Amino acid sequence: MKDSFLFPIVFMLIMVVIFVGILAVMYRLSEEKIAAYQQDVFQRQVLALMVGKIAEATNEDVSAILDAILESYELYVKAVNTEGLERQTFIAQVADSTVAYCFEIKGKGLWGSMKALVSTTTDFRTIVDFAIVEQMETPGLGARIEEDWFLAQFRDRLFVQSPDAEDITSSYEFIAETQVPEREDQLKRVTGATITSDSVVKMLRNEFNHIYRYMQDYRS
Amino acid sequence: MKLKDIFITSAFTENSVWRQILGICSALAVTNLMKNSLIMGLGVIFTLAFANLTISFIRNWTPRSVRMMVQTLVIASYVIIVDIFLKANMPEISKQLGPYVGLIITNCILMGRAEAFASQNKPLDSFIDGIGAGVGYTLVLLVISFIRELFGFGSIFGIQVMGDWWTPWSIMVMAPSAFFILAMLIWHINTRFYKAKV
Repeated sequence: MKDSFLFPIVFMLIMVVIFVGILAVMYRLSEEKIAAYQQDVFQRQVLALMVGKIAEATNEDVSAILDAILESYELYVKAVNTEGLERQTFIAQVADSTVAYCFEIKGKGLWGSMKALVSTTTDFRTIVDFAIVEQMETPGLGARIEEDWFLAQFRDRLFVQSPDAEDITSSYEFIAETQVPEREDQLKRVTGATITSDSVVKMLRNEFNHIYRYMQDYRS
Repeated sequence: MKLKDIFITSAFTENSVWRQILGICSALAVTNLMKNSLIMGLGVIFTLAFANLTISFIRNWTPRSVRMMVQTLVIASYVIIVDIFLKANMPEISKQLGPYVGLIITNCILMGRAEAFASQNKPLDSFIDGIGAGVGYTLVLLVISFIRELFGFGSIFGIQVMGDWWTPWSIMVMAPSAFFILAMLIWHINTRFYKAKV
């Protein structure tokens, strides 16, 4: 029977139906759980990126705001409809006053696209905090752009020089990961991931300029 | 053959990496950190064991002409099952694993053991063979990553063991270092334990 013409086709079909069926059922059962977790992580990241400014404005403790994630998010963070910008935008508001903005930005890494969240001051020129949300870089090399020492170099860094949105990144000097920065304009690259490190700076430069110009028009 | 012998043969005597030269791509790619190697190793052990078990269960009904398609289907399904399960129930671990779960599909040790062992042997024997092959592969990854992480980052499993005096060797962080460490490992084991002629 196994050598007949039809048996292999029928057998393969049955196997595909069984395994695809198992996968489909498993996915359906887990879909809600996965989506809820992803939303929770995203909200945590958005709040964490703006928590410093919220704490400043409310005189609350940073950890206290983060511990009550659901309440804090409801209370301080609002999604903003920025039509035409095509980037998710959030604001942190304390007593009807906006203290920080947070944008989802996109760029290209060495192997694929990257997504990040960046919070900015209300003039859209300085980074408050920065986190990589998605990346497809080499584990152990380019993927190390998610490490805190790399991200920390961008905190409180000016990215738009003047009202003409002049490119400030051309004045940055890149140094090796093992070197100790001696000046403000020095940025460390991840060892073995020069292109990925540069891609992060390029993504921030392009996105910041785009956001800065858009928000100027949006406000006016 | 006893189960213990199957395990020892699969993990050490006929190790997939140093005897059969399989799974080299991932051995080069993921061995710059010990944590990455351990995670990849655990994923491969689980998938190998259960893919072998399933392939062995259905071996008497599987037509020869479509056996490799069936093996690929089974392996890919297990990898996706692991991925969905981790995303839903252990999201933190899933995030740490990142692209490694998907990479397991591309590991040629899985197809190698399915074709060479599971398609011709009993389910329990195949299950043990899968665990053995996975353990042997993980062992090689850990040896290479121990050398690379120690010299490249001055740490072991992310814990800094070298002091400030240590200058990290950048070459150890990059893929080429894995080439010569793996080559030296294969050369040493084959000449020392298998009396292979140089």
